[in-house]
Amino acid sequence: MCRNHATVRSLLAELVGEATGPTVADMEAGLENFSRGTPRNVDSLLVVVEPYFRSLETGARAVELGRELGIPRVGAVANKSRSAEDERAVREFCEGRGIPIAGWVPFDEAVLQAERSGMALLDHRPESPAAQAIASVADSIAG
Amino acid sequence: MRIAIAGKGGVGKTTIAGTLARLLGRREGSALAVDGDSNPNLAVALGLPQSGAMSLPTVPRDVMEKRLVDGEEKLVLALSPEEIAQRWGIPAPDGVRLLILGRVNHAGTG
Repeated sequence: MCRNHATVRSLLAELVGEATGPTVADMEAGLENFSRGTPRNVDSLLVVVEPYFRSLETGARAVELGRELGIPRVGAVANKSRSAEDERAVREFCEGRGIPIAGWVPFDEAVLQAERSGMALLDHRPESPAAQAIASVADSIAG
Repeated sequence: MRIAIAGKGGVGKTTIAGTLARLLGRREGSALAVDGDSNPNLAVALGLPQSGAMSLPTVPRDVMEKRLVDGEEKLVLALSPEEIAQRWGIPAPDGVRLLILGRVNHAGTG
């Protein structure tokens, strides 16, 4: 390993904490980085969840940990919903746990196609439902 | 406006992070995207070419230094985020600068 995770986590926390402009940090997957307080300095924590139980459980725990760190805005982004049933499952779960939903991004082939062709979603299909949905998340955060 | 994107692996964090960073860059004129994953792939989600994505520079660990804060030794930044972004930031579309924090070297040379 080139560098240990602890250094990366401190670096992320400090960089984001001192950044003055708009900053988006893509964190390591999972919860381990929360125990080191990696996201402690952000204004918003977006926890991406998929409509299946293990993803929702991990997401709920991330939301709790984010709140414990004192992050002012914490919410879920419900990704890859394929149906009204998926949406209902996510909504019920989040309501039950008191988790605000910051956005809905539908399942979208355009995301898979962009990944396969090694392109950004915004360059591949800016008009796709997923891109439009992420734009509304951006609006609600920035607005 | 500082946003962290978290979640279980494979849920689509990176696509959302990259797309958000570009949209905020468009809106605000510039944005910083920080890849904290040990298997970094935010570059491609931001629109940088896939070829060469694995050889993009990472932020060296000596931008952090140990300092005594309230009698406790802490790792703090030795340079400002702006300086770090200038030196190691990779320009991406829509005024985004990408900082890659670490990469696990599977070849075991690190």
